[in-house]
Amino acid sequence: MKLSTRMVVVLTSIGLLSGSFLATVGHLTKERITLNKQREIEEAIIQVVPGTVSSQKLYEERDLSVYGGKDEEGNIIGFAIHASGIGFQDKITLMLGTNTSLERTNRLAILDQKETPGLGAKITDRESFLKYWEDRECSEDISLRKPAVSSAEELLPSEINTITGATISSEAVLSIVNSSLEHARRLIKEGKISSEAQDVN
Amino acid sequence: MSTKTIGQEFIKGLWDENPVFRQLLGLCPTLAVTGAVINGLAMGLATTFVLIFSSLVVSSIKKLIPSQVRIASYIVIIATFVTVADRFLAAFFPPISKSLGPYVPLIVVNCIILGRQEAYSSKNTVGRSLIDALGMSAGFFLALLILSAIREILGAGTFFGYQVMGAWFTPWIIMILPPGAFITLGILLALALHIERRTKSRK
Repeated sequence: MKLSTRMVVVLTSIGLLSGSFLATVGHLTKERITLNKQREIEEAIIQVVPGTVSSQKLYEERDLSVYGGKDEEGNIIGFAIHASGIGFQDKITLMLGTNTSLERTNRLAILDQKETPGLGAKITDRESFLKYWEDRECSEDISLRKPAVSSAEELLPSEINTITGATISSEAVLSIVNSSLEHARRLIKEGKISSEAQDVN
Repeated sequence: MSTKTIGQEFIKGLWDENPVFRQLLGLCPTLAVTGAVINGLAMGLATTFVLIFSSLVVSSIKKLIPSQVRIASYIVIIATFVTVADRFLAAFFPPISKSLGPYVPLIVVNCIILGRQEAYSSKNTVGRSLIDALGMSAGFFLALLILSAIREILGAGTFFGYQVMGAWFTPWIIMILPPGAFITLGILLALALHIERRTKSRK
């Protein structure tokens, strides 16, 4: 066989064999990978809207989805807003629970972040950050208390505490939350999401 | 063809030709994922898997590949096994897959793997290539483990997620940040060189 033909034949066959092998592996793992992602989201909804037994996706677009957390009778008891935005180093993905009128927050969970370990990464820590997000007033923008105060009682109802040494990460989370809340308020006004339980199509 | 015994073939990967400490190969994953022992371990296992299977395939089809397209062929073979490792981690160990992020796909360009194909598997038998791949993986694995253990213990006060330092210990946050990786690697490399020199001068 001529060298050039041999080169083409060998590379093509290696490519074809690898391709078909990968297609098989991809097919075998696809279901599990999708399932893992779904489970992660479901767990986060249960965490941020306490009392949720099942959930339903109400709205979805790039960087923002809204889920409804339902109780045993199927009534929506709160919204879970799944949003992401830029942090100090990389994308931060979070889930914010609110009541059905979007006036009070429930809880906040950080699903994905690559902030500086030991500083910005404290946004995933309950004691230093997440606890301040519980039961905040959010009919207007939430604001950040700088410099940080030592107890939650000193904060206004619509204020959260800054992480000392990680102002940028705290601000990043705050801006993701505020912009997604504003977005969600608009969606409610436009009637795209509502707390009336909808039949699952 | 290599003239070493099987034992020597394996042992050389651990010390004489240790990919990280002696050949300074694969430093990108070595520096990037050794902030926690669990990540170092997962990276070591994924690289081991890719290296072993690539070596097996390359050494068994080495006569079929024209030398002009050998690098392209090796890369396709390596990339195949890397993708398998990546999908496997995402399907069965999602938290590890998440914390390793892009570093699993980046095994494709890890010099240790391509280097072994070019320097060894393409010239030696399947059996010897397997021993070589096992030795090199073990050497890489060892290096990741030592580095990540030092960084996790000093940087977070934990080992494998378990608290090992008492409450008196203030974690040196720098150790789990990138500079900590360079500092630790630098000290270990100096140490490896020092040991090497002493053993040589005794001979």
